[in-house]
Amino acid sequence: MAAWVKGQEVGLDAAVSAAAALLSSARAPIVAGLNAELSAVRAAFRLAAETGASVDTLGSEGTYAELGALSRGGAMTTTPAETIGRADTVLAVGAAARSAPLIDALRASRPSRGVAAGAERTLLTLDTAGDPAVAVATLRAYAKGHLAGEHPSADIARALFAARFGVILYDPAELGEFGIEMLQALGRDLNESTRVFTLSLGSGSQDRAVVPLSAWTTGQAPRVGFGRGLPEHDPWRFDAARLAASGEADAALWLASLPCERPGWLGRLRTVALLGEGAAAPDVAEIVIAVAVPGEGVGGTLWDEGRAAIAYRPAAGTSALPAAAGVIEAIRRGLASKEAA
Amino acid sequence: MLIRIKGGRVVDPTAGRDAVGDVDIENGRVVAASERTPDRTIDASGCVVMAGGVEVHSHIAGGNVVLSRLLLPDLYVSEAAPEGHPFAHAGGSAAWIGANYARMGYTTAVEPAMPPSNALATQLELADIPLLDRGALAVMGNDDHLLSLLREGEGRNAVRDLVALNVATSRGLGVKCINAGGASAFKDGMLRLSLDDEIPVYGLSTRRIMGALLDAVEEIGVPHPLHVHCNNLGLPGADESFVATLDAAEGRRIHFAHAQFYAYGVADPENPATGGFRSAAERIIRAMETNPNATFDVGQVVFGQTVTISLDILRQFAGRKGAKPKKWILNAGDAEGGGVVPFLYRPKGPTSSLQWAIGLELMLLSGDPERTILTTDHPNGGPFTEYPRIIHWLMDKEERDREIATLPKIVGERSSLPGLEREYTLSEIAKLTRSGPAKLLGLDDRGHLRPGARADVAVYRDSKDRTAMFSRARLVLKDGQTIVEDGEVVDWRAGHSLSLSVESDKAMARRSDAYLKDRFGAGLDSFAVPDEAFPMGDVFEDVACRA
Ligand SMILES: [Zn+2]
Repeated sequence: MAAWVKGQEVGLDAAVSAAAALLSSARAPIVAGLNAELSAVRAAFRLAAETGASVDTLGSEGTYAELGALSRGGAMTTTPAETIGRADTVLAVGAAARSAPLIDALRASRPSRGVAAGAERTLLTLDTAGDPAVAVATLRAYAKGHLAGEHPSADIARALFAARFGVILYDPAELGEFGIEMLQALGRDLNESTRVFTLSLGSGSQDRAVVPLSAWTTGQAPRVGFGRGLPEHDPWRFDAARLAASGEADAALWLASLPCERPGWLGRLRTVALLGEGAAAPDVAEIVIAVAVPGEGVGGTLWDEGRAAIAYRPAAGTSALPAAAGVIEAIRRGLASKEAA
Repeated sequence: MLIRIKGGRVVDPTAGRDAVGDVDIENGRVVAASERTPDRTIDASGCVVMAGGVEVHSHIAGGNVVLSRLLLPDLYVSEAAPEGHPFAHAGGSAAWIGANYARMGYTTAVEPAMPPSNALATQLELADIPLLDRGALAVMGNDDHLLSLLREGEGRNAVRDLVALNVATSRGLGVKCINAGGASAFKDGMLRLSLDDEIPVYGLSTRRIMGALLDAVEEIGVPHPLHVHCNNLGLPGADESFVATLDAAEGRRIHFAHAQFYAYGVADPENPATGGFRSAAERIIRAMETNPNATFDVGQVVFGQTVTISLDILRQFAGRKGAKPKKWILNAGDAEGGGVVPFLYRPKGPTSSLQWAIGLELMLLSGDPERTILTTDHPNGGPFTEYPRIIHWLMDKEERDREIATLPKIVGERSSLPGLEREYTLSEIAKLTRSGPAKLLGLDDRGHLRPGARADVAVYRDSKDRTAMFSRARLVLKDGQTIVEDGEVVDWRAGHSLSLSVESDKAMARRSDAYLKDRFGAGLDSFAVPDEAFPMGDVFEDVACRA
């Protein structure tokens, strides 16, 4: 067992009661991190709804760039397995995409399914040093014939048009919202004559599992706020870092049963931190509760980057620590009983 | 505890019942009438009592439904949460879906398009739909593993074992094919596919893939027949695809999804592609009459803004430029993929008016409402919340005429709707929305009120205003518990996810595991839907195969 209130080790029940009291007394709490198994994220949304909190997720930079571009212009997408299996032409946009592990897999193989099966795979890169959106816009101008003449982008455009199944790989955090929008517009242009799809790299955290759960739970993508009794989607208003920095938030629940970097505000804001075994320490936040790590001490549903899907990962071993979902549920019940009293 | 719903007009066509009487309930089931004094009596005088509604085809969960919310965040309106559930008034959420079905007296709903590669997410989402029993159909027909197996001529047993394994692994209730071979063909450059066109790389056709799936479903004993989304949805001449597909079934059980979108005959034979379409409802209904093995759901269109959600990527790609607002998502996914294309059925627009008319025509021409089930293919033809209004049009010729009077003349020129005098009876509505869909899903414990039925019951205040009557049930019981009173949810209990209990062959499991590891770097385990993944517990309920 490992739980601390103001640096003092306490029993789990005492920590849960203190957490419920802290969150109950908050005027504008935030629920953030969500780098955890889906059952815990689900519980966190329920807790947020009951406390009128706003919800933000780790990995948000790329996610929100992606969501913003998506809701404005849509997208043409594919999966890692289809890229490996079918793509005869792959364009890596930017530095992160160029060095992604997927590129190694693509270099080491040929397409094995579809009309391009057995063909040599062409791997291209687009240098986006400077403004990535400008680099993509330039490529698009060559693709549309608005720019002509010798230029690396002219060659890339020709190669993409010649693809039988082309894939454009990018890191949404690097490309940014306008870059992604431009890239999707390029994808639409290419599909006038051939099949080219986009594939965005994940952030390494659980935001890609959080987004669908948020969508089916609240009808909206994160960031979501419950302050007015109904879920409202607003990436700017409900940005946890902004709310913490501006002082609008007066309490927080930080959920990270998986290892990740901790935000600077953990020690400044009155926070209940649920941290995976190994990451938990007495003085990280006002209240710290150590929880089992999904896939290690406890089973959990997690984002699988290779499959681009969520999958259940059974526990590899055992842990004496509680699962995060149960702790959050207990905190939530603590709120309810407080109201009833 | 014995509950008696007393003195209502009990409508149960499966028992030939349409008269004032009682329905007795005990331990979550309907029981035979008795002399015993009930512990609770529900006065249903002035009300109509029916079995809970059963939905066979509504896109209520899964990756594309999620994407539709991200693409169109403002499609549904959110309101402040009601007592008892934090998310039920969050427009378009899982809880909102459950609440809105329940308020209309529906107690079961099936998501028809679950790709096995994304089964866990779909099942988790379904499990968060409160109040209803729910289920999902596993989609097959475009996956390389199946197509390779067919190409190699491996025979019926291998196909059967692969289908059974997919249903078991994804915990589906049945099997669906969506433009079989179409997604594969699309990724290989084709933009149109008909029943006998050759699918690149595999040398197969939709006819062969679908035929193999039809056989597999029968051999496994899946209660629900193969659920088929044909080629060429929405195109003038799609009636040809429908009838050809029906012929290709060769007497085997087959269910057609959203027939309205195929009841489009070529209007101008000289210019088939550009001359528009006319109703082929009569042709479709005639074909259904000579093929008692077939059923369809309607896919009724209603006017207004919606979003189309389909794994038929070929069709969604072709329709992308009709998007309104002008944005869409197309996903060349593992096996199926699909597309999300916003769409406006323009009020009083000639095309949408004709589509609206054709859906109603299909139902009004049907001699067997149990085989022509009410759906809007939610949200493709419009939201399921429009069912009460559709029922009103079916039951009330005057109401229909009032609507037709506001529509362009094309409705009368290219469909027979204005001349149809028929008015559906309550008993026929019960067939269309209860007994028909329950029989189709092979769920003999629901869709009726005979002793032994699950006590899923809807009580409506009888009214000439059928829209009002069916929008807000006076009372709804799920498994004998009151979940809705006066159109509002009063008990946020959870139903179950219905999943077929099917044995999977060990050799096929090993083989699939190896195939998946090679393709995804993750084996069969990664595609599983284990109980442990469901934090709420007691989620699944087994449905037995046919003997
Ligand atoms: Zn559908």
